[in-house]
Amino acid sequence: MTSLPDLNQKIQSAAKRLLAEGKAEVVIGCRQGTTPMTVAPIFCRTEDDCNQLIWSNFAKINLATYLPKYPGKVAIIAKGCDARSAVGQVVEKQIERENLYIVGVACGGLVDVEQIQAREPRPIRAAEEDWATIKLSGDGWSSSLPKEDVLRRNCKTCVSRTPEGVADELIGEPTEALPADDYADLKALAGQSLEEKMAYFKGLVKNCLRCYACRNACPLCYCPVCFVDETRPQWLGKSQDEMDTFTFHLLRAFHCSGRCTSCGGCEAACPMDIKLREFNRLLDEEVQKDWNYLPGLSWDQTPPLTTYRPDDEADFIK
Amino acid sequence: MAEYIVKENALKDFFKALTEGGKRRFLAPAEVSGKLQMIETDPEKVSLDFGNTHQSPKSAFFPQTEKLMAFHKDTAKSDPFVYKPLGLDETAPMVLFGLRPCDARGLVVCDRVFQNNRFTDPYWKSKYESAVKIGLACHDPRPACFCTAVGGSPFGEAGLDAIAFVRDGGLALKTLSAEGGEFLKGLSGLESAEIGAELAEKKQAAEAGMPGPLDQSKVAGAAVMEIYNQPHWKDTADRCLNCGTCTFVCPTCHCFDIQDEQNEKGGLRMRNWDTCMSWLYTVHGTGHNPRPTKTERMRQRFMHKLKYIPMKQDGACGCIGCGRCVTLCPVNIDIREVARQMNG
Ligand code: SF4
Ligand code: SF4
Ligand code: SF4
Ligand code: SF4
Repeated sequence: MTSLPDLNQKIQSAAKRLLAEGKAEVVIGCRQGTTPMTVAPIFCRTEDDCNQLIWSNFAKINLATYLPKYPGKVAIIAKGCDARSAVGQVVEKQIERENLYIVGVACGGLVDVEQIQAREPRPIRAAEEDWATIKLSGDGWSSSLPKEDVLRRNCKTCVSRTPEGVADELIGEPTEALPADDYADLKALAGQSLEEKMAYFKGLVKNCLRCYACRNACPLCYCPVCFVDETRPQWLGKSQDEMDTFTFHLLRAFHCSGRCTSCGGCEAACPMDIKLREFNRLLDEEVQKDWNYLPGLSWDQTPPLTTYRPDDEADFIK
Repeated sequence: MAEYIVKENALKDFFKALTEGGKRRFLAPAEVSGKLQMIETDPEKVSLDFGNTHQSPKSAFFPQTEKLMAFHKDTAKSDPFVYKPLGLDETAPMVLFGLRPCDARGLVVCDRVFQNNRFTDPYWKSKYESAVKIGLACHDPRPACFCTAVGGSPFGEAGLDAIAFVRDGGLALKTLSAEGGEFLKGLSGLESAEIGAELAEKKQAAEAGMPGPLDQSKVAGAAVMEIYNQPHWKDTADRCLNCGTCTFVCPTCHCFDIQDEQNEKGGLRMRNWDTCMSWLYTVHGTGHNPRPTKTERMRQRFMHKLKYIPMKQDGACGCIGCGRCVTLCPVNIDIREVARQMNG
């Protein structure tokens, strides 16, 4: 079984080597957070920075989110989904391949802190982790949970846990890909009436604050000005109006269709635990069905949304 | 100052009595969609066992979307297209039970923004002044709580009309303001008691495990520009997503944006929470943005909490240590860490 200290050691040496060799000006990875069960992204520029790098089950966001804003040579410590998103950004011409170095780390899945707290409601004062177990403790108690039981939803159907094929180097023992999402719940939903479907999707976002943390955490949402922030014209109202909120989610999902790597970063960032990936899953299924396309798996893919064929069967496109 | 207890079997009667026979809206910690929130609720559904509510209670006084004025377009009537104020006398006064002491202090910070010697915000004032605020002290502060580091206490009394703590499944309660004393007098479920010694003891026990004061002496003494130009901002901003989560969950963040909307029948002016983390917050009509990158935006939030509010509110810290932003920031930007860097 992979030992985390060993993995951390390897990540740290790789980062130091890349800085020393000038392959990257900065290495983006994760370090321990300031409270139990948190990690903080870190931009390593010195050896001291590199010594803080870790791999953690508690990582939250997809580090590829930082790449499009980064001007110089950058290396990223990437799990499977981070690497896929980075590849997607190259394919979508947001970053230059030669400025990017991917240190792939074989991932065994991340955990969902909400699920942990649901199982362990006592105040958690400290958490320790290894590859397969989460150990928790509080005032006068300790307990442990198999990681398997509290995996993030998206990690349960991950087809790219090991970023093989796209990483410039790979750390850790490759982990098996899991059976892909079968979309069973969405197929069941498809059989329902329009009203039922509408109620389902409105219900998903009814507590949304429109803080847009989901958007800002998403590696696909790199637009310089998001359509919700446009003011001339202003496409969308700013209040908690149900239709405006719904429109935001619907449009964002369409903008992300065929591009989402199911990293779960959006849901992990959402302060209201909104399961907004349901919108993406719905469109992922469509794209997979019609184009047989999975994003971020190779450097020479052409995303369906940017493909044009003169003999396209759809009339509206000609 | 009066002291009472409420026995466990009298709790529901007591909560019902707080509504003064339905004249007041009753807000207390209760579950909505799996999260505990300070909301208008049934006296039967109040939770006494919680760390803190997921979101801050500010929305009771400063809703995320607040309708300010409206007009109609009916030219058959005398006053089409004339904006008329809304919401000032439309709602019943509130009684809030179960405010955590940190959040009550947060409301005091907001109150001084919305009501001071320069402005009075009538929408805030009409709700805040008439509300009775009953606190619930924390026996078991959570890992991210740090009220004691910023001048508060899990048994703090600021901003409250009365403070309660859980005792044998029921409550012990002490009135703090004249209004609180008047309001509680004779309410059903209350029994007079001596609770002072117990309260002091519990307070000490709760504070014992909590962090000591966060040293902000250098920040207080330094010129604004000195802190503004510190080099650490850039490093922290590297990882900030400008996602705004911290501002939306913060009990003292109070920025808003005014918007007009209309349809064929009429129009509405409302204010919505805004966030200084957003690019849109400062962009000018010309397209110029005085806070062009996330570094300036992130810096603003912390300067406001730790320098500008203390300057404007006689040294009071703009952060009351609820820990919400610390727990919910997706990239673990911890205001305590930033405060230490600022005090450098
Ligand atoms: S889904 Fe969550 S993160 Fe996204 S805007 Fe709504 S509340 Fe914010
Ligand atoms: S939509 Fe969500 S799951 Fe998909 S790439 Fe963006 S953050 Fe990841
Ligand atoms: S919650 Fe964290 S990442 Fe989001 S804006 Fe606030 S400090 Fe930045
Ligand atoms: S800054 Fe953070 S810890 Fe301080 S009051 Fe606001 S949400 Fe709470």
